[in-house]
Formats: sequence, C-alpha cells, structure tokens
Amino acid sequence: MNKRFCLYMIACAVVILSACSGKDVAGVYGENGWSPNNPIEVVAAAGAGGGWDTTARLATQTFEKEGIIKERMPVINKPGGGGAVGWAYMTRKEGNPHNIFVTSPPILLVPLNGQSKYGYEDFTPLANVIADYGAFAVSADAKWDTLNDLFDDMKKDPSSVSIVGVSSPGSMDHIQFIKIARAAGVDVTKIKYVSDQDGGALTQLLNGSVDVYSAGTSETVEQVRAGKIKVLGITAPERLEGETLEDFPTAVEQGIDETFVNWRGFFGPAGMDEQQIQYYQDKFKQLNDSPEWKKIREKYGWNELYMDGEEYEQFLDEQNEEMYAILEELKLLR
Amino acid sequence: MGSIEGLMSGFQVALSLQGILFVFIGVFVGTFIGMMPGLGPISAIAIMIPITYSMDPAIALMMMAGVYYGAVFGGSSSSILLNAPGVAGTVATAFDGYPMAQQGKAGKALAIAAIASFIGGTVSVVLLMLFSPLLSSIAVSFGPVEYFALMLLGLTAIASLSDGSTLKAFISATLGIIVVTIGIDGQTGTARFTFENAYLLEGIDFLIIALGLFALAEVCTLIFNRNEAADKEKNEKIGSLKLTKEDVKEIKGPITRQSFLGFIIGVLPGAGATIASFIAYITEKKIAKKPEEFGKGSVKGLAAPEAANNAATSGAFVPLLSLGIPGSGTTAVMLGAFLVLGIQPGPLLVQDNPEVFWGIIASMYIGNVFLLILNLPLIPYISKVLTIPRPMLISLVITFSMVGVYALSFSTFDLYLLLIFGIVGFLMRIFSFPAAPFILAFILGGMMEQALRQTLTISDGSLSIFVERPIGLTLMIVAVLVMTVPLFKKKSWNPAKKKTDAA
Repeated sequence: MNKRFCLYMIACAVVILSACSGKDVAGVYGENGWSPNNPIEVVAAAGAGGGWDTTARLATQTFEKEGIIKERMPVINKPGGGGAVGWAYMTRKEGNPHNIFVTSPPILLVPLNGQSKYGYEDFTPLANVIADYGAFAVSADAKWDTLNDLFDDMKKDPSSVSIVGVSSPGSMDHIQFIKIARAAGVDVTKIKYVSDQDGGALTQLLNGSVDVYSAGTSETVEQVRAGKIKVLGITAPERLEGETLEDFPTAVEQGIDETFVNWRGFFGPAGMDEQQIQYYQDKFKQLNDSPEWKKIREKYGWNELYMDGEEYEQFLDEQNEEMYAILEELKLLR
Repeated sequence: MGSIEGLMSGFQVALSLQGILFVFIGVFVGTFIGMMPGLGPISAIAIMIPITYSMDPAIALMMMAGVYYGAVFGGSSSSILLNAPGVAGTVATAFDGYPMAQQGKAGKALAIAAIASFIGGTVSVVLLMLFSPLLSSIAVSFGPVEYFALMLLGLTAIASLSDGSTLKAFISATLGIIVVTIGIDGQTGTARFTFENAYLLEGIDFLIIALGLFALAEVCTLIFNRNEAADKEKNEKIGSLKLTKEDVKEIKGPITRQSFLGFIIGVLPGAGATIASFIAYITEKKIAKKPEEFGKGSVKGLAAPEAANNAATSGAFVPLLSLGIPGSGTTAVMLGAFLVLGIQPGPLLVQDNPEVFWGIIASMYIGNVFLLILNLPLIPYISKVLTIPRPMLISLVITFSMVGVYALSFSTFDLYLLLIFGIVGFLMRIFSFPAAPFILAFILGGMMEQALRQTLTISDGSLSIFVERPIGLTLMIVAVLVMTVPLFKKKSWNPAKKKTDAA
C-alpha cells in the first residue's frame, strides 16, 4: 500500500514538473506587441531590506496594485559579492524576457574593481526610475561650515582628514566623495577612507574617530534634526525637496561644479528583442507617472529620474567613463 | 513625557486586545522559527515583514520585536537537544547544554535555558527603559580602537575554551582566523582567497561554520559510533524539569551577572548576542570554583550564555531605537521593517513616535512572560525529539541544517561549504581539536582585523592611538592581565599540583 502510494506521488510529481517545464516561456506576440505569459521574476542582487530589495518590492507591489502588469511579479534575493552573484545568475537567463533585475552604480563600479566578471554591457538596460544623492556630514561642532572650508584644509594636507563610509573602497560612498573632492582640487590619491560595513560608520563620526561621514542623503536627516551632525554639502545638481532635506546646500552652489547620482533602474538579460524592451519601457513609464509611485517616492525620500532607451544607454556610458577615470587615478582599477 | 508616564502609555498600546494578540503571534512565530536548527531571527523577521505592510506601525513593530527576541529565546532548544545551533547567539549554549541532554537531563537543561532567558530578557528590558537615552552615549563611545581592544579581550579566552591541549586550541583558532579572511577585504576592496569564485566574495557565513563544525560533526560521530548501543539508552531520557535547591543556588549568580553584562555588550553596535554569550561563558568559567565542570554539562555554563544572549537582544534595541544605528545583521533587517512602516528610529523617536518607542518597551515585558509560559509547558514535548529513532533523527538534523544554510542566500554552493566544514569538524573531533576556539576566532578575528586596520588608517600608522583613548587602554590592559596572570599563577601552582599527583 505504502509503496504504491509513493509511486503514485512520484508519478504526480513527474507530471507536474514536466507540465511546468513544457510551458512556453517566450511570452506572446499580439497586435500591441509583446506581452508576458508567465510570472515576471524580479531579482534583487542583495539581501532583504537593502536599497535594491526595497525598490524591487515597492515597484512590483505598485505594478500589481495599480494593475499596470497583470502577471505576478515575485521578487527574489540573490545576495553576494556586492551584486556579482546576482548578475552571474542573470547571465544564465539570457534571452528570457520574464526575468528583470534592479540595479544602480555598483554595476559599473564592481566590475571596474575587478570583483565581477559581468557589467552593465552584459545586460539590457530597460528604464531608470529613481535617483538618490550623496551627503557629506561632519560633527555638529566641527570647525568646517561649508565644503570649501573642508576642502581648503584637505588641499593643504589631504591626509589630515579621515572619511568614513559603509561601502568598501572603490564603491559608492568612497567614490562620491572622491568625485567632488577631485573637482575641488584635492589630491585624491592621499585621501584616507575608512570602510565600516558592520553598521559602525555613523557611530565613528559621532564619537569623533573620523571627521567626515559620506552617505546617502536620507541616512543623515535624523541626526541633523537631532542637532548631532551637520551636512556640508550634497552631490545633487540642485537642492532637494522635503523638510530638512531642502536645507542641505549642493556642492554646485558652493562653486564646485560636480555631481554624483545614485541612480536606480531596471535591467533585463541580454538578448531581449525590440518589442520586449518596448513593453517594459511602457510599463515603467506608467509606473513612474502613477500617483501611487509618487507617494512612495515621497515617503522614502527618492527623487524622480526617469530615463529609457538611447538616453539611458548614453547616460550609462558616460557614467562608466567617469568612474573608470576616477578608479584609474586611485589605482583601484583591476 | 517622563519615563513612567511614557511607559504607562506604552502599556496602554501593548495591553490593548490587538497589542496582546500581535505580541503573542510575534513571540510564538519567533520562538517556533528559532527552534528550527539553522533558522534564526533574520529569517524570522524577513518572513514577517510583508505581513506588517498594512498594520498600525506601533502594533506591527511590537510584533516584529517579539519575533526577534522570541527567536533568540527559542534558539536554545536545538543547541541543547541536537548540538545544532540555529542562531549564532546560541552556539555557547551548546557547550554545556548538549552534554546535559546526553546525560539524560534534557528537561532540566531546557528549563534552565528558559528561566535564564526570561530573567536575562526581563532585567534588560528594565535597563532599556531606565537608561536608554543615557546608554546611547555608551553605544557611540566605541570607535575602532575600543572595538579592537574588546575583540582582543575576547580572544584571550581561547585557551580557556579547550579541555585538553592549549596548543590544539590555538591551532584551531588560527584556522578560524584564516577562514574569516576569505572574501572581499573591507579596507582595500581586494578579494582574498576567493579563487575567482563569485560565491566566496562575500565571505563564508557564520551559520555554515557553526552548523558544519557542530551539527554535522555530531551527526558524523553518531554514525561512526552507531554500534555503541549503550549510550543510546541514556540519551533518550528527558529527566525531570525541576531544579534542585543546589541548581538554583548555582545559577543565581551567573544569571544575575550575565544579564547586566550581556545587556551592556548588546548595546555596543556590532557586538551583539553572539559575543555577549561567549564572553558570558568565558567570564563564568574564569570565576567559577570548579572550572573543570564547564563543557561537561555544568548548569552555570548553560545559564550564563542564555541569560546573556537574551539580555543582549534587548540591549541591541538601544542603538537601534535611540540612534537609528543597526548593530547587527538582524537589527539591520529590523531597521528595514521600521522604514517600511514609515518610522525613522533615531534620537527623535521618543518625541515623534512615543507610542512606538514605549509600546515596544512595554510589549517586551509582556512578550517575555508569554515566552516563559509558552516554553515551559512545551519542554516535555520538545524533548521528545530525543526519543526519535537515531537514523531518523540524523536525517532530520542534516535536512534542517541544509535548509537553514540554503535559506541564507539560496545558493547550492553554500551546501557544499557546509559539507566541507562538516568533514573538517569531524576530523577535528577525531584528532581532538576543540571546535569552540575556531568559532570564537572566526567571529572575533574578522572584526578585530577590520578594527585594527581602520585604527591604523585613521592614525596614519601610528600605534600611539591605542594608548590615547581611556576605554580602549583599559580594555587592553585587562586583556594583557588576563593573558599573563595565569602564567605566573601556574608557576606557583605546579609544584603543589605535582605533589598531589604523586600522592
């Protein structure tokens, strides 16, 4: 009896499995172009709770809630290697239009650092949706009040000031500071950057171990409101909107003509055709224009930055060239 | 709003029907997931986040906090019964808990763990309530220098974690330090010992090592000794839950001390429950009258880390709530849960969202009581695990370990690593190398290296920075004393010892 039951179960499993794998994964082509016929898997190449994960989950939620995309959109996390594991996974999905992933500047920086075999050129950029900017904060009682005060000291002796960030050297927190400091005329090869990946970066600023905290703008707001730290400058082209955020001066208005954009967008695997790309561009455009997504942007302090098609590809090429130049100067290029 | 007034309003939220219900759900889910070998608070919280989306923030966060400390509370069961720690914070629990279970005292071991957890949890909530604003200044007083000194102090304990050869303990610890250097180096971004393998870039997760060296090595030993029927019989006994007067007397001291110490270590970002439990175990062993009992089923050795890890869990809420700084992987996921609900923890949380701040604290009193009532009556049923026939139990442990490891990052590569560390752990057992120093060095060594290099970057390579900061200097002096004093003691001891041996 038992044996027969087992056999029965196995037979069922085989039937179900073969039914799954037999399903057409290419999607359907109709009058209005391509559309998906399977759930769309959205990969966040990092653990739960981070920036990529949050963006992916909120975007898919909005897609489903607003009925922009009818198929289910499960988010799966592929953490590891600062994104490298997730990207390697995506290269195995070549030509499958039911897989997309969320990404940001690390897809330029990590390959340039030699930590990933695959970079942005190995995928199909679909659309950029939001942007965040960097902020440079110092202790509330620090002697510097503007970026120029800080950079004047650093021009005299770059190693007299230490900078802390969460990401590893050659990644975002480091590079955004380097980019602005370089434009101000600081010798960036001598800058002391400390990386604290165990959540101690802000602590190190608060207890005076280091002088400058390089982070995302939203990570500084709460401490600024509490009067513990002050933000000398942000990397946005113009001032941001929102309480406290609007008080942060940009580097540009302080006479340093440089910006750093922490852009966030969605890519597909290589080998997607025109119609498939068009489908996603339309859907992301609808997402971007929806009032629900606007609410989410405001809640999380994200800025709108929509780009697709040629404009997006050109933007990525330019960004990549800039990053290449900076990493080359820092001798972090591998 | 004063503390008392705030707490009263917090109890109002926590004692509402909804509050009680969701705190109960939280601790129930937490303790249940925590009991599974290999699944810890991170998985438990991550699973629960989507449920909270449409909930009232205060209630949702009370539930999430319940999941968190519930998982730490429940985590001790698999350490004690199966030697398969499900949470990093309960590795030290296995040192004495598992031997107790093997001696047929599983019931008592689980009862002690529950009581120690309850007291540790409750004492630390009181401390959290009274001193949270004050303690936030302690949390930020630790820079790289102080962390380096703290880790050094922790590493001095390696010798005391070995039963036999100190040399073997140091070899084991060295292996731990070698393994932790695998991955991208935090200070230069260089990949070390990764052999171009993308899966190794992030380093090896603690859980893989813990489950490999403890659970799988134990399973191997069980299979290896399967013909020794004798020990099978005593293994199945659960024993009485009741503590004798002597037991109570024994564990009173460790629980009280480690509740306070565990809380303070928990307050430091980056330290957390794991380090608190190890330091608790080590200090109790150092000050015990009969340190030789540790590792062989000492009730003190079980009570100390259990009180400490739960106390540290509440301690970790200090930097999270009052500074917005997540001190560990788990609190980072907790921070994510806060942000999803539109609550920004930080210095202004008490003013902006008093109902959240005080609600969480008030709910922790209730949650700890729930956990005690929930766990004590369950002990006879949980310990039934031991009566499962050996072959099935072995397959269960292997399955749970693999599920836990796979859930880390959903990659099969981690499963191979688990297998490798299982074999390493088994070989270490055969040649009687202790596994505890390996784990300790793996946890502390990585943080120590990063702290040392951060310090030297800040000071431009000058070592004088280590004597300039008072807290760091004090810790360093204590570390040196801990290392050197036994050397002098031994000299005066040895002749006497030899005499007694001869006699």
